[in-house]
Amino acid sequence: MDGAVKRNGLAQAASGQARTDSGDPTERSSAGVGLVRRLASLRLTLALIVLLGVGVAFAYLREGARTWPLVVPLILLAINLMAAVMTNGVFRRQTALLVFHLALVVLLLLVAAGRLTYLNGYVGVTEDVPFEGELSESDRGPLHAGALSGVRFVNRGFHIDYAPGLQREATRNQVAWQGSDGRWHDELIGDQKPLVVSGYRFYTTFNKGFAPTFRWRDTHGYVVRGSVQLPPYPLKEYSQAAEWSPPGSTLSIWVLLDIDEIILDPAEHTSFRLPEHYKLVVRIGRERHEMHPGDSLQTADGTLEFEGLRNWMGYRVFYDWTLPWLLAACAVAVVSLAAHFWRKFTARPWDA
Amino acid sequence: MEQELQVLWVAVTAYVFAGVVAVVGVVLGKRPERSVLALMLAGLALQTLSIGLRWDRLGHGPFITMFEILCSNVWSLMTAYTLVYWRIPRIRASAAIVMPLMFIMLGWLMVAHPGEGHYPPTYNTPWLYIHIGLGKVFLGAVLVAVGLSCVILLRHAGIGLQRLAQLPASAQLDELAFRCMAIGLIFHTLMLIAGAIWAQDAWGRYWAWDPLETWAFITWLTVAFTIHARLAYRLSPPVHAGLVLAVFVTAFLTFFGVPFISATPHQGAV
Ligand code: HEM
Repeated sequence: MDGAVKRNGLAQAASGQARTDSGDPTERSSAGVGLVRRLASLRLTLALIVLLGVGVAFAYLREGARTWPLVVPLILLAINLMAAVMTNGVFRRQTALLVFHLALVVLLLLVAAGRLTYLNGYVGVTEDVPFEGELSESDRGPLHAGALSGVRFVNRGFHIDYAPGLQREATRNQVAWQGSDGRWHDELIGDQKPLVVSGYRFYTTFNKGFAPTFRWRDTHGYVVRGSVQLPPYPLKEYSQAAEWSPPGSTLSIWVLLDIDEIILDPAEHTSFRLPEHYKLVVRIGRERHEMHPGDSLQTADGTLEFEGLRNWMGYRVFYDWTLPWLLAACAVAVVSLAAHFWRKFTARPWDA
Repeated sequence: MEQELQVLWVAVTAYVFAGVVAVVGVVLGKRPERSVLALMLAGLALQTLSIGLRWDRLGHGPFITMFEILCSNVWSLMTAYTLVYWRIPRIRASAAIVMPLMFIMLGWLMVAHPGEGHYPPTYNTPWLYIHIGLGKVFLGAVLVAVGLSCVILLRHAGIGLQRLAQLPASAQLDELAFRCMAIGLIFHTLMLIAGAIWAQDAWGRYWAWDPLETWAFITWLTVAFTIHARLAYRLSPPVHAGLVLAVFVTAFLTFFGVPFISATPHQGAV
């Protein structure tokens, strides 16, 4: 009985039959209903699922064209689905099925909201040098309105073991972060656990390395401290050089870390650590100097003192306020889908 | 290593015997169901032992190399099918189709290199087991649907009509295959959700259209398509069966093809 009713409802929706009683004073609204019925076609759903599949393949092959090939079929699917919800009796009779499909629409809206307001970025943070809200790379949705500039945290150092063959094991990074009440908190983050401050999530990455740290005293006696992050180690083991300008100065300083020991022996179990035997080659213009911790160097613009080496850790930064809502919508979708099939299958055995 | 491989080869032999007995049974119109079930259970027990030995030796589960992934999938597919074989006696003759399908994976497993791989730090999470476990249930459900669909297609082609007569009518097999696809859809959806949670924890993004994510999503779409097509066009059993096979092929490529041709961090370990 139920099957017959269902089939009727479906057949109507599927063929998109519109009732066009032309003598009716509500002709226009009836034409409207006809249009909605047509839009609600299940065959259209099939075509749109195929279109979405093609869009996914296209977006995958062309990274630059990730938006429209996905957005167009998804919007069409949402319209198709909303029209079906309005006109197809199946959804009125089967609440769980309705909830499932509505959860899909909610998911879509949340993903859209997330894409408009997200932030994705990257920053390297030198040990004990506070992060002050500046990222070295980022891209964000047009409506991103987070308070990144107010985020403060300090990388307090990290520990990474390596198995033979330079196989990286767990990353354990001690950090301190400032809560909205101004108080500081300590936390251990790592592979599966980001630091979350004001909705921004900081994930440790495999990018990390050494950062020579300097004190710079300009000709007015003004002293600042700065550090330069050398390329990631051991990834760029053989190009440990970078260019740097002291804060507030136009002087260009080129530094190279010349390490005289094996830090990560591929044949052993080892841990990431600072080198002990090294020299820092500093080039300013045509002058070349070798520096050790505590050494100073006089230039026309001021005095450069090399304090020593520190670690830096690269963090991937991610902001998306929709995450918990996405999870909730997914949970509703899956539970209602399971409930729908449960009801349907327990009502009648398969070999009845 | 030697011992765990020896145990594995004995398990594989048990599976092969189970398949051969099932095929011979159907061909001769006999029902050696107890022997087939006993052989499948023996194979499963031995394979469990082999996986356990290797797990203990390496300190991690079978999630890394092609050998391990094939091995754990043979195990989960055999578990899924054995369960169905035991619980739904009316479709036992489908073993004559499902087991030869398993032979392909068994053959592949035998030529895969059993060396060990590196266990990445991002795998140290319960999400590994949840994500992978859900994927295995999905594949298991699709395998059963494929077995039933092959019977429908053989009958439609007029092959072995008499020998397949011991199985229920095609309309009933079609309904059961559809139910497997429905269960598959639920578990595939759960797998995607678990994977997204894990990706967010491990790499700071829940979805990035990497090759495996893209293919897994396309597989999900093929399941949604099949379910809707069956409703929208009231498909006949053979056409639905064809779509089920298409889902299986897509899923197979996703699970066993993509992870081994892509160089992204998401190598897939299902
Ligand atoms: C692309 C994501 C979609 C998925 C995964 C999906 C999934 C499902 C599932 C699992 C069912 C239940 C099938 C059954 O009870 O036998 C169903 C039924 C249905 N779907 Fe969708 N759906 C999707 C999109 C849509 C859209 C866009 C529409 C809009 C027309 C739609 C319309 C329907 C209708 C009308 C039914 C009821 C069929 C019935 O039980 O008689 N679905 N869908």
